[in-house]
Amino acid sequence: MMTTEALFQELQTHALSQHISHLSAYAGAVAQLFHIVGFLLILTSVLLVNLRLIGLGLRKQPIPYLAKVTNPLILIGLLLVTVSGLFIFLPSATLYYPNPAFWLKFYLLAAVVVLHFTLIGWVTRKEQPRPVIAWATAIVNLTLWFGVAFAGRAIGFLN
Amino acid sequence: MTIIQFLQVLHDSEFGTSVRESLYLFPLLEGVHLIGLALSVGLIIATDLRLIGVFLKQVPVRDVLHHLRPYVLVGFALTFITGIVLLWAEGPRIWENPVFPLKLALIVVAGINALWFEFKFGKSAHLWGEQAQFPTGAKVAGWISLVSWTAVVILGRLIPYLEAN
Repeated sequence: MMTTEALFQELQTHALSQHISHLSAYAGAVAQLFHIVGFLLILTSVLLVNLRLIGLGLRKQPIPYLAKVTNPLILIGLLLVTVSGLFIFLPSATLYYPNPAFWLKFYLLAAVVVLHFTLIGWVTRKEQPRPVIAWATAIVNLTLWFGVAFAGRAIGFLN
Repeated sequence: MTIIQFLQVLHDSEFGTSVRESLYLFPLLEGVHLIGLALSVGLIIATDLRLIGVFLKQVPVRDVLHHLRPYVLVGFALTFITGIVLLWAEGPRIWENPVFPLKLALIVVAGINALWFEFKFGKSAHLWGEQAQFPTGAKVAGWISLVSWTAVVILGRLIPYLEAN
């Protein structure tokens, strides 16, 4: 059984990772740009839907409508952050292994992605979810996404 | 006193030094700066896309402008306050970065554009916002805002990559 540390080591020495790390120094900066743009797409969409869930923001619009129009943006955002994230992660996988902020970010991200395709999808299909459920969903959802943002931003400072 | 000398004074001050050397405060400030961006720039870009006619097409323009404004303003307050504290701590280094003056200039462009839009179209959004074709000026303001804020975010993220040596 391979340990996670060994797996990260393996990933870093993989030919693709080596190829990425030999790209120009600007490739890393470009990956960061796509990463932040993708993340802003997600956060903004999440804000529009969750403000509405707690009766704020675009409060005259039906919840399912806002969920429907923002969902493609969330998916594009997820695609952008995943691809750019792999570009950032692969060449220095072993650098991230001991970083607590890195792990926190991915635990929170895993939780929120699972919720997005389950609870949040279920709640935002309703025209009028029960207020308790709407509030609880919005608070958990916003806390997790903001947590991902904070933890992600902290990674660079703990390296 | 030049700007750089002034920033040096801030940098050397007790407050500037303690922010710079703080293990938790500095990442926290960067984190709030990012969250503030999602509120301010994120929701402004949603508004711009509405003006251009590609997003939230079912929502009246007036509602987009009015109902998102408080969050945009809260976001700006967060971004500006954290930005000023970060500049306080790292001023001279940031100021010498070729990207930073460009970022500031684009924030000014975006700000003037927003004010112009507000005075020219903001008050009458309930009238033209119902029409199939928006006034050209309103659409142009949407494009200027979209491009300049996107560039501000991109330039901001480039700051650590283009440090003047």
